[in-house]
Amino acid sequence: MKLELGYIYIKDVQFGAKSEVKDGTLYVNKEEIQKLVLEDENLVSCDVDLARPGESVRITPVKDVIEPRVKVEGRGGVFPGWMHKVDTVGEGKTNVLKGAAVVTAGKVVGFQEGIIDMSGEGAKYTPFSKTNNVVLVINPIDNLEAHDYEHSLRVAGLKVATYLGELARNLTPDEVKVYEHEGVLEGYKKYPDLPRVAYVLMLQSQGLLHDTYVYGVDAKQSLTTMINPTELFDGAIVSGNCVSACDKNPTYIHENNPVVEELFAQHGKKLNFVGVIITNENVYLADKMRSSDWSAKLCKFLNLDGAIVSQEGFGNPDTDLIMNCKKIEAEGVKTVIITDEYAGQDGSSQSLADADVAANAVVTGGNANVVIHLPKMDKVIGTLDYVDIIAGGWSGSLQPDGSIIAELQVITSATNEQGYNCLSAR
Amino acid sequence: MNRAGKGSFSRSFFANMLLITNNPDVRDAFTDKHGITLRFIEGSYRDVLVAARDLIHSGSKLLTHPLMGSLKPNETPYRSVALAVMEGPMDMDSLMLIERSIETFDKFAAVTRPDRGVNTPERMLADFRLIDLSLISSALDH
Repeated sequence: MKLELGYIYIKDVQFGAKSEVKDGTLYVNKEEIQKLVLEDENLVSCDVDLARPGESVRITPVKDVIEPRVKVEGRGGVFPGWMHKVDTVGEGKTNVLKGAAVVTAGKVVGFQEGIIDMSGEGAKYTPFSKTNNVVLVINPIDNLEAHDYEHSLRVAGLKVATYLGELARNLTPDEVKVYEHEGVLEGYKKYPDLPRVAYVLMLQSQGLLHDTYVYGVDAKQSLTTMINPTELFDGAIVSGNCVSACDKNPTYIHENNPVVEELFAQHGKKLNFVGVIITNENVYLADKMRSSDWSAKLCKFLNLDGAIVSQEGFGNPDTDLIMNCKKIEAEGVKTVIITDEYAGQDGSSQSLADADVAANAVVTGGNANVVIHLPKMDKVIGTLDYVDIIAGGWSGSLQPDGSIIAELQVITSATNEQGYNCLSAR
Repeated sequence: MNRAGKGSFSRSFFANMLLITNNPDVRDAFTDKHGITLRFIEGSYRDVLVAARDLIHSGSKLLTHPLMGSLKPNETPYRSVALAVMEGPMDMDSLMLIERSIETFDKFAAVTRPDRGVNTPERMLADFRLIDLSLISSALDH
């Protein structure tokens, strides 16, 4: 399966009478976007605002971030099961508005949404301070259930990302990246001497407001299975969750999964990238056992030498992470796990809620408990009403001068467990 | 929820399912549910974990993860845990999991925060109750 990603670099975003891309600037027609979002009768208002890198702007409460993409050649369409029919994606050509993002904001459950600062201290920690953001602040009708509001916000974000992605359909990409996965047998024939490595991608699936969707299907209802790595680049996996801002995987990061990109980069050089196994993080312990058994079985079926396992969230998912790690190692397959840490504000506490000696190779996204001080921003998109209740903040986090003292976990993707974050030990 | 398979499994295989909670919304939603015995605890998140541990000591097994959800133990004051009530030798997996969960709880609880955990203001309690109820409901197919 071969996918060409055509990057159209976006350096600025502006409002315009017509939505279009011209000379690296994304122009957006505010009214058209509002009309599109408000097709949903559960929503009453949609403010569209723009946030550019370096501006004194704070966006909160952030729900999801999505990259606009469009399928220009090949089967299916981006975000299958949502914006297009359920047809296998991952081959042909897809154009990407690289440097642009759709950010959805709204208080689903206030404490589970995040902060994106476009400049200052906070900007250092979020990858989305570097994108030109089209921000949708969306309000629901009175008394809408939280999970219905989440659904509406999710679909609104996907709709606007699809609408903006469509602008790239007939553009000539500034850069083309080619990703090709030849399949298990071909890969083995081609690289018989290289270590066989797969990626075990754990998807948040604990329940309402804690879900992830694969081709529109709630991941908690699926057994562990395989997906072609290029399918991720076409939006096969969509975030539907309201977990802590720092370590949730927004849809944008699923579209740009850095583990998959790096495995492609090393494919045929250091290793043979065999494929992606997707598994879930359910609350029910029998589900955990079944899913982790299945991960280990698939690793064995594929005759792997190594597996990289990434998780999403903390606490309950730590158990799935360690179960996957232990069982895969027990099949003779070496593992590296990717997580983040809740090691206390001084970093001295036990980092995870579970542990095992088999987890002897760990990559961390950083300590989410570290306390940071975010300066006041000139403009707030959304509302600061929830800063005092956001996960990682507390009563008094919002200072009288408009600055914020809180733990790193308030920042969207600060300790991302796929490694799409800015922290480094280098 | 559309998970008929697991629902019937949980109710038939573990005939004596006990749901321990300190969340009034869970109590209201699960009172008189067929196949589920409810134990409401007028107490803390930690009290729920300790009640679960006591049952595990006498042979019961955990059915749901004690740290479900991404809310940290010094944030939400609510907790619901389902067990299969049985007597006999201790289930070591359940014991390890509940002990680790209590350990994690205590680690977080040591860092107290204004208006969090047991001190959560009323305006946040409804959201915390909702998250706990949503998670346990989807875990138990109700």
